[in-house]
Amino acid sequence: MYYTERDKILMQVQKPTRYTGGELNACMKDKDKVSVRFGFCFPDLYEIAMSHLGIKILYHTLNERADTYCERVFAPWTDMEQLMRERNMKLFALESGDEVGSFDFLGFTLQYELSYSNIVNMLDLAEVPVYAADRTKEHPFVCAGGPCAYNAEPIADFIDFFMLGEGEESIHEVIDTYIKWKNSGASREEFLHMAAKIPGIYVPSFYDVSYNDDGTVASIKPNTEDAPETVRKRIVTDFSGVFAPEKIIVPFGEVVHDRVILEVFRGCIRGCRFCQAGYVYRPVRERKADRLLYLADKLLSSSGYDEISLSSLSTSDYTQLPELTSSLLDITEQKKINLSLPSLRIDNFSLELMQRVQKVRKSGITFAPEAGTQRLRDVINKNITEENIIESTRLLFSGGYTNVKLYFMVGLPTETNEDVSAIAALAEKVLSVYFEIPKEERAKNINITVSTSNFVPKPFTAFQWEKQATRAEMIEKQDILKASIKSKRIRYNWHDDKTSYLEGVFARGDRRLSAVIKRAVELGCKFDGWNEHFNFELWMQAFDECGIDPDFYTARRRDYSEILPWDHIDVGVTKSFFIKESEKAHRAETTANCREKCAGCGAAAFKTGVCYE
Amino acid sequence: MSKYILKYTRDERVKYVSHLDFIRLFHRAVRRSGVDFLFSEGFNPHPVMTVAMPLSVGVTSGGEYMKVGFTDSFTEEEIKNRINCALPPGYHIESVYRLKGKEIDLTKINKADYTVMAELKKGAAPCDIDRVLASDSLVVMKKTKSGTKPSDIRPYIYALDEEQYADGVVTYKMRLACGNDYNLKPETVISAMEETDSGFRTSFLCIHRDRLILPGEE
Repeated sequence: MYYTERDKILMQVQKPTRYTGGELNACMKDKDKVSVRFGFCFPDLYEIAMSHLGIKILYHTLNERADTYCERVFAPWTDMEQLMRERNMKLFALESGDEVGSFDFLGFTLQYELSYSNIVNMLDLAEVPVYAADRTKEHPFVCAGGPCAYNAEPIADFIDFFMLGEGEESIHEVIDTYIKWKNSGASREEFLHMAAKIPGIYVPSFYDVSYNDDGTVASIKPNTEDAPETVRKRIVTDFSGVFAPEKIIVPFGEVVHDRVILEVFRGCIRGCRFCQAGYVYRPVRERKADRLLYLADKLLSSSGYDEISLSSLSTSDYTQLPELTSSLLDITEQKKINLSLPSLRIDNFSLELMQRVQKVRKSGITFAPEAGTQRLRDVINKNITEENIIESTRLLFSGGYTNVKLYFMVGLPTETNEDVSAIAALAEKVLSVYFEIPKEERAKNINITVSTSNFVPKPFTAFQWEKQATRAEMIEKQDILKASIKSKRIRYNWHDDKTSYLEGVFARGDRRLSAVIKRAVELGCKFDGWNEHFNFELWMQAFDECGIDPDFYTARRRDYSEILPWDHIDVGVTKSFFIKESEKAHRAETTANCREKCAGCGAAAFKTGVCYE
Repeated sequence: MSKYILKYTRDERVKYVSHLDFIRLFHRAVRRSGVDFLFSEGFNPHPVMTVAMPLSVGVTSGGEYMKVGFTDSFTEEEIKNRINCALPPGYHIESVYRLKGKEIDLTKINKADYTVMAELKKGAAPCDIDRVLASDSLVVMKKTKSGTKPSDIRPYIYALDEEQYADGVVTYKMRLACGNDYNLKPETVISAMEETDSGFRTSFLCIHRDRLILPGEE
């Protein structure tokens, strides 16, 4: 029987198992028998972090190495943080409970812009200097990867190096290089020089950025020979064969995605012009169905989970979907396991599948038309027609479904007020489809939910040059839609304009924003993705004190000739392709998907996937 | 298929797992173990499983019980070993017993032994236990379903001893009522002790349930 100082605070916080580690399949190692200690940092709460697929892959692939101990490090919720700060307790890792300030690496995953404040707060809580330039040989290297790393300039000052693209292979090269460097006894900076030579590694301090008088970027130039002019993202060439974990950590408490997740493919053939994921994960690479079934079996039996789901962008595009789902159902029905389906394109196949999966409950179905008119859907290259939606919902309503969710964006390029009110018209049409079905053939209590998010232009998309709608415009559009929805059976949810605005600033921000983030954290900003913590006024104060106008990043349309803060990053898809797509968008012309016809985006340079099917 | 009584322990590594999380965790462990649960009949079948006395968050234990239905594909020893291999470190099945009839009834548990480490506040002293035990009544406010009511806990303290006092931490041994009739928590006893002896003030409690006791087991 024993207790520690940490126990005294754990008894006072909500959900203490967020902080204790020790879950099933967590890796416990002897810290004296490893050469590298890696803190895998997710800058959000345990329940969010533990739902993320990337951490499962990288955690287990690192821990397969005998020389490396990878542990999880998450943002403590505010109750825990307060108690830690009162007692001068530093940020610790879940597996060993050790403070992370003495680790070799702290690796942050960048899933959304609104987690940036938590990165700074976690470094502060770890007593690791927030600015990379202030770190010495005593401190860990702070690295970062994930979708936001493609333009991570706003946090460039905090991070020693970024890992661009898929990390399951490059992370081993980083560790190998680190061990070589550690044994050599060379300077801290020397390691960064060695790392910069690894494909996909971007060391921001090796690039000098200069600005024009109007605030735009004048140049981005490497300041050392070891840093390439442009850094190309890494991808896994053999996605079917690459390491995939066969066991996963099973949290004690419930997390957001509390189940086995099977990643069926990476990338997306669709080419929606607003979608960064659709471009940066190119080219599409599938995992073979038999490999997925093998993984499903391993993961289910090693975790004991009673639920499994499929994960990818646009899962309907998986070429082996019928084989996969039918074999999976054979396993799940026998073992009393739930198969939870992602949003699928609604047709007879998926409807039958849904009926087989959900024998009793008929949960809601989600459509994402994204825009209210065909013209605007052509602008964004969202390949779904009104006819598709009407026919799909007819199938659904006849099949007994009554919950339909429709997702849209407002503030899209070229959008007019008519496009916005057409969202309401589309929802009304869906409703009338329901009433066309004879009473005895449809279920009761139709429920249609319309949700709008605010379009945020992202780097590495066809819309990276666009002006973002101002907050006032977003609200105006939401008001138009509210006024256009007449039926009481249609519910309308909309996304807050303030967070969309801030997201827009960081999405296309540059290095000058690091100071703002640092200041905002000093003022108390954290957990900005959480309504109860987001404090817009503090953020505006931080911008003001740093002399930076956030509108500079959102409120102007950029010229194609402007040097963008992320121009030294290469995701494979070329800038000339994005320009072509941008122009087609303004002409409301669509582009065929990768399987119909190659659009020549540039991703074929990776010599794999759909480009070579 | 039969009902089985499982005796198990939990240590510091998993002491913050809540009762509901433990049930989910145990379901998964059985699923991993290859032992087959007996499922309830009905619309939404669930494994047949009853935990005798849920453990509070933060409390470790040397002897908990549950009753579980399994198919009889394995011996008691095999069930024990299989589930132990599937549980997260910190939970351990000590023994598995196949019920023949109603020879063990976990609803009859009426006492439990506890060890409590109480960290004293600065300047405080260990409790004068004799004074506590000499009291005819110790009335505390007890939360019930119909609100907070005064309750005399003295009759439910069957034993109370100071085992050790070192470095500002006093270790007490307690035997308390535990079960469906009356359930007395060690922390309630400690606050009653603080009420009785104003020199006794604690800043932190670490609680271990040594064992649950069935009538006649003392």
